[in-house]
Amino acid sequence: MYEFNFQRPANSDAAIDAQANAEDGQYMAGGQTIIPVLKQRLAMPSDVIDLGAIEDLSGITIADGTVTIGAMTTHTDVATSGDVLGAIPALADLASMIGDPHVRNRGTIGGSIANNDPAADYPAAVLGLGATVHTNQRTIIADEFFTDLFETALDEGELITNVAFPVPDQAAYMKFPNPASRYAIAGVFVSRTGADVRVAVTGAATCVFRAAEMERALAGNFNPDAIEGIGVDGTDFNNDLHASAEYRTHLVSVMAKRAVAKALG
Amino acid sequence: MSKVKIRDSVRRIEDLRFLTGTGNYIDDVVIGGEVVGVVVRSPYAHAKINGFDATDAEALDGVLAVITGAEWAAQNFGPIPTNSAVKENRDGTPISVPDRPCLASERVRYVGEAVAFVVAETLAIARQAVELVDVDYDPLPAVTHPVKALEPGAPQLHDAIEGNLCVDWELGDKDGTEKAFAAADRIITLELHNNRVTGAPIEPRGAVAYYDDASGTYTIYQSSQNIHANRNQMATILGIDKDNIHHVAPDVGGGFGAKNSVYPEPVITLYATKKVGRPVKWVNDRAESFLSDTHGRSQYSTVEMAVMNDGTFKGLRTTTIGEMGAYCGTVGAFTPTGGSARTQGGPYAFEAMYYSAKAGFTNTAPLDPYRGAGRPEGSFQIERIVELAARELDMDPVELRRKNLIPKDALPLVTSMGLDVDCGDFPTVFEKTLAMTDRAGYEARAAASQAQGKCRGFAIAPYLECTGGMPKEHAVISFDDDGSVSLAIGSHSTGMGHETSLPQILAAQLGIDIERIKFTQADTDATPLGGGHGGSRGMEMGGNAVLQTAGEVIEKGKAIAAHHFECSVDDVEFDDGAYIQPGSNNTMTMDNAINAAQDHSTLPDDLAPGCLDTGSTFERGIISIPNGCHAAEAEVDPETGAVQITGFWVVDDFGTIVNPMLADGQVMGGIGQGLGQALLEQAIYDEESGQLVTGSLIDYALPRAEDMPPMRLDYYEDSPTKKTPLGAKGAGEAGCCGAPPAIVNAVLDALKGHGVTHIEMPLTPEMVWQAVRDA
Repeated sequence: MYEFNFQRPANSDAAIDAQANAEDGQYMAGGQTIIPVLKQRLAMPSDVIDLGAIEDLSGITIADGTVTIGAMTTHTDVATSGDVLGAIPALADLASMIGDPHVRNRGTIGGSIANNDPAADYPAAVLGLGATVHTNQRTIIADEFFTDLFETALDEGELITNVAFPVPDQAAYMKFPNPASRYAIAGVFVSRTGADVRVAVTGAATCVFRAAEMERALAGNFNPDAIEGIGVDGTDFNNDLHASAEYRTHLVSVMAKRAVAKALG
Repeated sequence: MSKVKIRDSVRRIEDLRFLTGTGNYIDDVVIGGEVVGVVVRSPYAHAKINGFDATDAEALDGVLAVITGAEWAAQNFGPIPTNSAVKENRDGTPISVPDRPCLASERVRYVGEAVAFVVAETLAIARQAVELVDVDYDPLPAVTHPVKALEPGAPQLHDAIEGNLCVDWELGDKDGTEKAFAAADRIITLELHNNRVTGAPIEPRGAVAYYDDASGTYTIYQSSQNIHANRNQMATILGIDKDNIHHVAPDVGGGFGAKNSVYPEPVITLYATKKVGRPVKWVNDRAESFLSDTHGRSQYSTVEMAVMNDGTFKGLRTTTIGEMGAYCGTVGAFTPTGGSARTQGGPYAFEAMYYSAKAGFTNTAPLDPYRGAGRPEGSFQIERIVELAARELDMDPVELRRKNLIPKDALPLVTSMGLDVDCGDFPTVFEKTLAMTDRAGYEARAAASQAQGKCRGFAIAPYLECTGGMPKEHAVISFDDDGSVSLAIGSHSTGMGHETSLPQILAAQLGIDIERIKFTQADTDATPLGGGHGGSRGMEMGGNAVLQTAGEVIEKGKAIAAHHFECSVDDVEFDDGAYIQPGSNNTMTMDNAINAAQDHSTLPDDLAPGCLDTGSTFERGIISIPNGCHAAEAEVDPETGAVQITGFWVVDDFGTIVNPMLADGQVMGGIGQGLGQALLEQAIYDEESGQLVTGSLIDYALPRAEDMPPMRLDYYEDSPTKKTPLGAKGAGEAGCCGAPPAIVNAVLDALKGHGVTHIEMPLTPEMVWQAVRDA
């Protein structure tokens, strides 16, 4: 690690001020990415602003068919929340699959989606459920939030306050995990709300995306058979040590079918 | 207080310390006033060094010294020594051993090679200074593939070594093998790769050292598994008397072979502490552990088996290309040659066997022993070719193995590889294993898998092992005024539980409470020699040294009992913890004899307090032959290639089992490591840049608890070896020998219906999926 100023503000306003006043401020929302990066001396922020002390950023509420999860809510809290398990069990299921117990006890939903790791799990749920990201400045719909590899629509210093998930009729997440890291080699989140179907794919490409052709097929017939033979174009998929683009393309189809089957129970 | 016997599952004494966070690992060792050393490592796989500029690093506040390769070269220290048991090529010429300095000054040959060493007041300052050390490199072409390294036109690593070739070697009955091949109905041939892996001990390597000016002696604590040999080698490099180095290993968090070798860093740490006049602590981080620990395995082999149509094995021929890495490790050329050759053919009868190997230099971290050091490679070769032979002969692989196992009455025998197999009962071990596996329920389990779109497979894999490592071990037993008994040993536990099992032997022999024994290991002041850890030698060597020394103590104590009984020493016998005089009521417990030995008034005139203190060296004649049998059931998802090992069964013949619970731990750990190699682990270097691609735990997949199958273990104990008094054959590496072939063959059996006959390790989901698709 290089030297940095460590700040632990008590509320969101103080956090935003601290970020604005820092030469090169970096929010820390659990530290599951930034701490390893710092330890490897791959980043040199002037200030690390730990959001862990801001109480009103965490917690889960459910109202009017929407589950709202505070940005600093840990994966474990989502995975074990009675409200989430009751309203969107697929979301709790996804949270329970992230990393390992250490990661789940420290990592947060806000940290995960702000980082937008191409192999992270949460982006698939946010996009696959058509969630809305609330920040200190505005609301951003899922389809506009994830923009590119490790890139989001967030402006410099903009702070996620919570993520609002509409409760679907049916949903499920299936992922094929990387055996070393447990990140998704390919993960597919499907949801159906009335006639509206969403299929979000993580791990396969540089950024989470929706599989439009599968969505159309499933909108007419929400059944694994409906997407038999409907693949995704994997031309630009990640091709690395962990999986070839070809294998990822194949896995997306398999995970999508299995997710639909799982959603149907 | 408790009496224990050999074969009791005595609970691990050391676990209280380990499980409550009070272990004393290298980073816990505090001398007082120490400063921190960090290594500057080469970012290039192959480069010429034009020079060093440490000015900026030295100018940093808190930096005490920057020791560059140029400074090291000016000291004229020796190279890091190699001590390979294989010293000659097949033509009698010496093998090629390049000089390896602790710090490179003219050329680097792998990513991570040490080129300088920064000493600073804190770790943060040292790491900052490392970035300021300017090394002027001219990159050179690199070769990281062991086969390509031996091809014409490959980049050359060492000017004096032609064609990157370290060793060209053979063993066995070449003519007899050719005859067997000529007489056979069929030749089965398989090319296979034994994947390159790394030990990844949970505790990275490190050392803390200080120099005493007045006496001119060094003290060094190191996370090492071989402290006596390392001490001698470090002294040789530095050109000093070995007695001027006191070398101690505190608690060591795993080794697996990666802490056997003498490495550059502890030697530099010794030099640095003398130079700066302060204790110096150097501890690798995880990334450095991946880059700089010795790696293991990495063999490309062609295995050929001559067989009759009725399944009778005739001959076996293995041709291997192994890999040294950039330099020879401590054991050097032995692993891909003698280490892999000895157990060729496993527990099967062959008329003749022949083994031929070459190993060359590559721009990678040096390779050295990794749990098994050649025997797992040999075991994998024979079990894979037998499985393939069963396919090609259309025979049941269980029947084919059963048919060719060496029968009990054929032992003792010496194999074509010169291995002295004295005892055991391979068919009984095989049948006992098979009986555990619930073959009757297999069809139902296979049908259940199929109903879920999955394939189930089964494989059984008997293995033949042998021990290794230093053939001498020393134990010291001494009796202290406070009533405690001290046991010091030169063998070494890096987690295996010797702090329990060796006192268990002593307590059982003397009939004293085990709690009374204070245990010391891995300290050059405590025993005059020691073989450390390696070659499954803990019980075979350490256990026998304790047994032998305890026997000498018992003999000495007879004089005390005779004095007490007022009889002749010849009339005293020792039985079940007490001296007796047969034909009389005289008895004296060992506890009482020990107490009597502390006091002049209770001793005969010719004995003095301390008279029972005994040190003794046990020397092995011939290596022991552990053997056993593994079986695995695998469930494969052909759609994704995912593999789950659903059942695992083992029967081991380790001879005498001192502590079954600890033996179980060795076997389970070995299965875990074997499963890692079979399904998950591979150290990969980029062939262009020579960078280690799998340089972190994000990219190098170690097995986790959920990857492990349920395991059922048992032992065959009717055949303790007579090669040593204890009869223990060695347990540490067996798991790694049996598990990879059992697992790989079970997966291939599962995919039999898909026509898949071979997949290279590790059997990652993508590899399995591709094999299903391509078959």
